[in-house]
Amino acid sequence: MNVIDDNNLLMRKVNCKLDILSRPDGSVLLSQGDTVVIAGVYGPIEVKTQKMLINKASVETFYRPKSGTPGIGDRLYESIIQNICETSLVSALYPRSSIVVIIQEMQNYGGIISCAVNACCFALLNSGIDMKFLVASASCALDDKGVFHLDPDKLLSDKAKANFVFVFDNIAKRIIASHTSGSFNLAQYEEALELCKKACDAIFDFYKTKMKNEIANKV
Amino acid sequence: MAKQFKSLHPIKFYRDYLNQNVRPDGRLLSKFRPVIVNTGSIATADGSALVRIGKTTVICGIKAELAQPKAEKPKEGFLICNVDLPPLCSSKFRPGPPSDLAQVTTRFVADLILNSGCIHLRDLCILKEKLVWCLYADLICLDYDGCLIDACLLALLTALKTVKLPSVDYDVAIDKKVVNEDEKKSILIYNTPVSTTYAIFEDKIITDPTAEEEDLSSGLITIVVKEKELCSVHKPGGSPISEEKLYDCIQETIKRADLLNTLINTAISEQTH
Repeated sequence: MNVIDDNNLLMRKVNCKLDILSRPDGSVLLSQGDTVVIAGVYGPIEVKTQKMLINKASVETFYRPKSGTPGIGDRLYESIIQNICETSLVSALYPRSSIVVIIQEMQNYGGIISCAVNACCFALLNSGIDMKFLVASASCALDDKGVFHLDPDKLLSDKAKANFVFVFDNIAKRIIASHTSGSFNLAQYEEALELCKKACDAIFDFYKTKMKNEIANKV
Repeated sequence: MAKQFKSLHPIKFYRDYLNQNVRPDGRLLSKFRPVIVNTGSIATADGSALVRIGKTTVICGIKAELAQPKAEKPKEGFLICNVDLPPLCSSKFRPGPPSDLAQVTTRFVADLILNSGCIHLRDLCILKEKLVWCLYADLICLDYDGCLIDACLLALLTALKTVKLPSVDYDVAIDKKVVNEDEKKSILIYNTPVSTTYAIFEDKIITDPTAEEEDLSSGLITIVVKEKELCSVHKPGGSPISEEKLYDCIQETIKRADLLNTLINTAISEQTH
């Protein structure tokens, strides 16, 4: 996936396989470089009484790390993914029910939040649930010399001065989520935003071609 | 009548107010609530601060203990933050294990301290591989009325600036520690990250939202700045916004940071007098 012809500004290879699990309504295995996650969506399904909302579906997200039980860091990812799902789904169509999104981390080699968000969107798309818009996420890193690296791997992002993760919608290309670490100035933030926006366009194209192929194969 | 209308149609109630460019509490959309900072509130702690943003109240106490450093980082001390949201502060929280919000805030605040580099963990080292300071920063919310992160960060930074650590003589050979309580020194704080929170309500941005406004809003943005540099632009999902609006919020935060910095410094200088 070439975004701009420059080695730093190249995304790692994105690959995906749909319908890999039989029980969920939608499932996907998504890899971005060496980072791999599985996402599964159940919904709309029956909801626990205490979580029932009378005007919309309650969206529950679970992020499972590769090993062990989810820690405090995973809760942060979980809350970001949950907020993104809540805004992208038309939950008002499914009152008194629940939509469950499960993300299982398989391998983390940098950019796990981006990968999880993209997998989550793919799984929702695969499940056929109503959505207001699609979402795509990209990350980039700023190194000590002030050079940007799109979609950095673990080595690059550990060394970087700052890391950025952005999530955009596919209609107006507006910012849904922004998560950063490290310190930077406003100009650098603007540059990172533009860079990730371009990368997200490439991901939206990827969604389109992948779904097209998938449907063509089924027919 | 307004009361009944508010409980029956809360969103419409707010929309009607915001269309007149005013909020139910009388503030304009871009107006902040008054902030109160008090230092040295807990005499038994090594450093402490109490912060109020409007009605939101957070108290921070820092306790220093001697500890052995980790083998992989022999020269670094520890700073362990914990945000507690007891059931007393809002009906949203129940007794029991920490809620998701408490965990997410804890993590976010700890990340910020690390990212901003406002404290160097190396400064907490007493003797390499043997003895370091471990600072436990406990943040307890006494009244939850929105902008939790802002209040927590402000309380934590103010408390860190008031920490005074005694000097320690350590004899490795016989593993004997002598703590000189009379010789107390402050720790170095390299910069002061401060944050402001904004809520998105339909197509409007509301500054410094209360808990009620946070619940009704469709998304929150928290921006952290330190000395004209950005530390974090945190928007954990919620409804999409355009770049221009986000940049406006950032500019606003940079302006606000000066005021908050002065506030912290005044509070600390008043304590020493």
